[in-house]
Amino acid sequence: MLIKALIACVVGLALGLWATALSLRSGRGFDATTIGAWTVSEKAGAPDADPYTRAGLERSGEIPLAAGEGLQFIARADDTGAALNSRCTYLVGRVTPPARYWTLSLVDRQGFPVENPAARYGFRSSEIVRDADGGFVIAVAASAHSGNWLPIGSEGRFALALRLYDSPVSATAGAIEKTAMPRISRESCR
Amino acid sequence: MNLKRRATDILMIALGAAMIAALVHIVAILIIPLYASRDAFARLSQLGPVNATILLAQPGPQARLLPYGDPAVASAFCRFDLGAGPLRVKAPADPSGFASLSFHTRRGSIFYAITDKAATHGVLEALVLTEDQLRAVAAKDDEDVPVQELRIVSPTNAGFVAMRSFSEQPSLYPRAESTVRALNCATEASPE
Repeated sequence: MLIKALIACVVGLALGLWATALSLRSGRGFDATTIGAWTVSEKAGAPDADPYTRAGLERSGEIPLAAGEGLQFIARADDTGAALNSRCTYLVGRVTPPARYWTLSLVDRQGFPVENPAARYGFRSSEIVRDADGGFVIAVAASAHSGNWLPIGSEGRFALALRLYDSPVSATAGAIEKTAMPRISRESCR
Repeated sequence: MNLKRRATDILMIALGAAMIAALVHIVAILIIPLYASRDAFARLSQLGPVNATILLAQPGPQARLLPYGDPAVASAFCRFDLGAGPLRVKAPADPSGFASLSFHTRRGSIFYAITDKAATHGVLEALVLTEDQLRAVAAKDDEDVPVQELRIVSPTNAGFVAMRSFSEQPSLYPRAESTVRALNCATEASPE
């Protein structure tokens, strides 16, 4: 009987810790809102954030943006739901929700920029090359592209981070239409 | 019969393990924020003393202290401890770009934030204090003169103020850095 209880305890402990690590790595709490390929946690850093969001922030150590400062959206997959793959080329763009400034950058699984020969880690709304109609396209690819090229840098999983600064949508991220977010379409893969 | 008993045993162990796993998971998630050994405050504490303004390295592949930083945004911070008195925070807001101040508790939640739009005469200024300190300061206010300063009550004694400044172009990043470097945090005398 004791042996059985012990086995249950050990297995339970291991399972519980594993589930905890897994849920923190996924980086999304109950507060998270998904809009197309993008996920945003409006409550990151808010005093009433859910326990998963708070535990995730404690582990990652990031300094979240306050609702009054802006919003950070993360995409780990393309529009079809397939995980972003360093062997593929993606076209990201045309529009973003309204904001005084925005940036779109590439990060690794831990949230850090990825080394690349061009030393290009992201684009600002104020420096990007736009089409005649004001839209933009960013090519996310391992090899050089004309126009706005965001290099993938290395093998492995990566994510895209879209940050809106001083945006009127800060308080109502859940109400953003899918069409207002940049699309992430996979073009070709090696 | 023997087979049936073994099956029941395994089922009981699995059930027990699942219940313990759920309990461990819930407790772990709730405890982690209290433990706070790896949060932003703990990481920033390694960089310098309380009240000192410390410039953070530009986010890049080599700067691995704080994740999810924006390479276009320069940041600086100061930690505070209201045990010694209220904290006066002053920062110039570069009128050409986005700048903001955010106020964080020891536990990582943000209790206030302002952007450059709230600046008066190009300066962002605030007094961070505890509930008790606010009461003491307010008691000394002249009733005929409206309070001009921004007073922010911090839920915890310890915490940090982060300043961000957006650079419109890569070449303007050094200017954003000098904007945030001008963040000034100073302890004021405790109100009697």
